[in-house]
Amino acid sequence: MIQDLLHSSPGLSNFVIFFLLATVFLFVILGFVTYAILAERKVLGFMQGRYGPNQVGGRWGLLQTVADVLKLLLKEDLIPKAADRPLFILAPVVAFAPAFMVVAAIPFTDRLQFADIGVGLLYYIAVSGMTTVGILVGAWASNNKYSLLGGMRAAAQMISYEIPLVMSVLGIALLAGSINLNEIVEAQEKGWFILWQPIAFIVFFIAAVAELNRVPFDLAEAENELVAGFHTEYSGFRWAMFMLAEYVYMFAMCALITVLFLGGWLPLPFLGFIPGAVWFALKFSLVVFILIWFRATFPRIRADQLMEFAWKVLLPVALANIFLTALLKEFLNIF
Amino acid sequence: MLGWTKGLAYTLKNLTREKVTYDYPNEPLPLPDRFRGVQKFYPEKCIVCNQCANICPTDCIQLTGKKHPDPAKKGKIIDTYDINFEICILCDLCTEVCPTEAIVMTNNFELADYSRDELFKNLEWLDENDENIRKVNKA
Repeated sequence: MIQDLLHSSPGLSNFVIFFLLATVFLFVILGFVTYAILAERKVLGFMQGRYGPNQVGGRWGLLQTVADVLKLLLKEDLIPKAADRPLFILAPVVAFAPAFMVVAAIPFTDRLQFADIGVGLLYYIAVSGMTTVGILVGAWASNNKYSLLGGMRAAAQMISYEIPLVMSVLGIALLAGSINLNEIVEAQEKGWFILWQPIAFIVFFIAAVAELNRVPFDLAEAENELVAGFHTEYSGFRWAMFMLAEYVYMFAMCALITVLFLGGWLPLPFLGFIPGAVWFALKFSLVVFILIWFRATFPRIRADQLMEFAWKVLLPVALANIFLTALLKEFLNIF
Repeated sequence: MLGWTKGLAYTLKNLTREKVTYDYPNEPLPLPDRFRGVQKFYPEKCIVCNQCANICPTDCIQLTGKKHPDPAKKGKIIDTYDINFEICILCDLCTEVCPTEAIVMTNNFELADYSRDELFKNLEWLDENDENIRKVNKA
């Protein structure tokens, strides 16, 4: 359906349809973010010997995030006097927009998807790189040394880790013979790529955690050294936008890992009667859980180790993986 | 086992461990019997000896007595008895010194209020404060 819409001639009615679809999708993602934050707080709590939110919205704290967001929206809009006003206002938008743009390219099932882009993988990585600009702009516009430090760290880290991220998925592109996400999922009928590309999976997962700025790679916002890093001066709904961008990226990155390595909507053998959407949701939830689990477990990595790890460990391993994959594909002809 | 897998195993195990938190405002905390909480006062036991007011390190106790209504009996009975919980430090000295155990400690400690005036507790309030009273007293 979307394919026909995309190929139809532009017009007002098409615009309205796209606009409504995007709005619906935005609300779905907002719903995910609401409960991802709750799930994160719950799982972190349980892993730390406590219960997490259990007051607002019944025993499970189901309305805790809603209450938090309402509070943020009602807060006074503070812009520091010395801040660069236009950039300060623009930065959260620049950070959030690409986060929402990338999820359009992700196929949730063979029918439920928005844009079946021929270079879907490339599109995802290229667009997601733009968020760094938003973070850096916000950090610089705040006119605060901690913000600037956090922003610089974010920029350096995200650019460094983008390279092993791209290099690790090249192995998959070689095996699937495509960078269209649908075709990558279809190529996994014979076996998920986590089995054929375990090294790529490990490299990709580590780089993805770093791209998401999550523990143990959360140097950009290191609460206890940089006072929240690039968003020190942000509060209220602008801060909420940054947080939203972060969690939408978590959604997008977990969905991408599901699509690339865990076979997207493909079922396990003999369990094909369960619909694809459920399979996708299960694998996706598993990846989200692992991210939260990591957050509960690992301490923050040291700043100098961070760069060395990206350039001296992850990148050579990813390159070696490409080489190995090419050799296997060429000489053993498994694929 | 590698260090980081140990960490992951530990946090995973913690998921099902019993939680260490209390459901505090809904369930009162279990407190030992010798806890020093807000005092309970028995007006009928008081002999108006003034020892509590004298020993109080912060001078938060004020009391007045009156003559016993029965002229045949000697001594006084209590008329007013106020403790100012703005300055009371719950040191237990008044209950230690009381010869008739007219004033004893309880396990109640929730003194938060919207006004400072509420912290000024009088004889009636201290008499009605009859829950979770300390069980072991000397008399």
